[in-house]
Amino acid sequence: MTTEAHTAQPEYRWRMPADWWARQRHYFLYVVREFTALPLALWLLWLLVEIKRAGDGPGRYAPHGSMPFVVFSVVVLLFALYHSYTFLSLAGTILHFKVFDRPVPSRLIVLSQFGLWAAASVVVGFALIWFAR
Amino acid sequence: MPDKTITIRATRYDPEKDEKPRLQSYDVPFYDESMVVLDALNHIKSHVDGSLSYRWSCRMGICGSCGMMVNGMPKLTCNAFLRDYWPRPIVVEPLNNFPVIRDLVIDMDDFMHKLKSIKPWIIRKQEIPLGAREHRQTNEQIDDFRQFSECINCMLCYAACPVYGLNSEFLGPAATALARRYNLDSRDQGLKERLPVIGGAEGIWECSFVGECSVVCPKGVDPAKAIQQTKLDTTMRFVLPYGNRD
Repeated sequence: MTTEAHTAQPEYRWRMPADWWARQRHYFLYVVREFTALPLALWLLWLLVEIKRAGDGPGRYAPHGSMPFVVFSVVVLLFALYHSYTFLSLAGTILHFKVFDRPVPSRLIVLSQFGLWAAASVVVGFALIWFAR
Repeated sequence: MPDKTITIRATRYDPEKDEKPRLQSYDVPFYDESMVVLDALNHIKSHVDGSLSYRWSCRMGICGSCGMMVNGMPKLTCNAFLRDYWPRPIVVEPLNNFPVIRDLVIDMDDFMHKLKSIKPWIIRKQEIPLGAREHRQTNEQIDDFRQFSECINCMLCYAACPVYGLNSEFLGPAATALARRYNLDSRDQGLKERLPVIGGAEGIWECSFVGECSVVCPKGVDPAKAIQQTKLDTTMRFVLPYGNRD
C-alpha cells in the first residue's frame, strides 16, 4: 500500500492524555526529577540577590532567616540531593571512554562520579567552615 | 475446551463506522503456559472474529511488527506471556503516540520518514568497487556499534516516549540509535550528512532523558544511551579544537 493511500484513509489521531505523567511510576519520577530544578533555580536566584547585597556592604546585608525560608531551604536541599543523585546515576549511560583500549564499565564511571561529588562536598564544607571562623 | 480462560480486551476501531476506538472483550482458552498475547489474538481472529486487524509476522521477537500496548505498556505481543497476566484480563491497544488505522494497526509512515531521514546505511565518500576488497573491521570496532545495530524498528520506544507523544516532530529514539549505529561504524563516512537531522531543532536536543525508551526496548538497544552519547559527541565536536573534523 502506498503512502498516498494511507494518508487518504481516515485515521484516529491519538492524543496524549493530560495525566500521562501520573499513569506510570517511571514517568512520575521523571517529572519530579525535572520539577526539582525549578525551586532550586529560585533558591539560587535568591542567593545571587544576597551576594549582591553583601557586595554592597555590611549595612545592606540582611540574610533571610525566617522559619518559612529555612523550611524552603531544607526542601530545596532535598530536591538538590535527589536531582544530583539522578544526574550522577545517569553519568554511566552518557559517558563512554576507553582506558588501554578497553571500555570503562558504566558502574565504575557512576562510582567515580559519586566519589568526586563526596570529595567536592568535603572540600566546599571545609572551605565554608574555614571562612566562617 | 480447556477449563482455564483469559479475557482479552482488544481495541476495535473501524474508521468508516467508529468515531473513536473502543474496547471489546473476548474470552480465550488458555491451554498452554507458553501462550503469548499474540496467540490469543490469533485465536480470536481464527475462531471468534476474523475482522480483528493487527500486524504480526515472525512470532519470535525478530521482525518487530507485533508491537502493541499490553496493559498500558508497549510490548511485542509475541513476547508477552499470558501466564504473567492470568487471571486478570489483558487490555491490548494499538501503540501509543501513533495514528490508528484500524483496530490494533497504527500508521507507521511518520517513523518511516524519520528512519529514512537519518540515512541508515553505510555512506562512503568513494565507494570501493565490488570485488576490489572488503571493508575490514576488528572485533573492537564492531563492539563500538553492535548494541545499536540490534534495533528491529518495532517502535515500542516511540510509544513509550512522552517527548514524541507531545511533539511528533521529534526525531525519536530508534532513528537516533540507528544514526549512532552508522556514525560509530568504522566503515561509514556519513556523519556530516546525518548531523543536520540528528543535531537539528527536532533532533537529539528535544530529548529530556525520560529513559523509558530503553526500559521497553525488547532488544536491549538502549536508545536513551545513544541519544545522550550523541549529545556529548556533538558538543565535543563544537567545543574542542578540530572537533568538527570528519
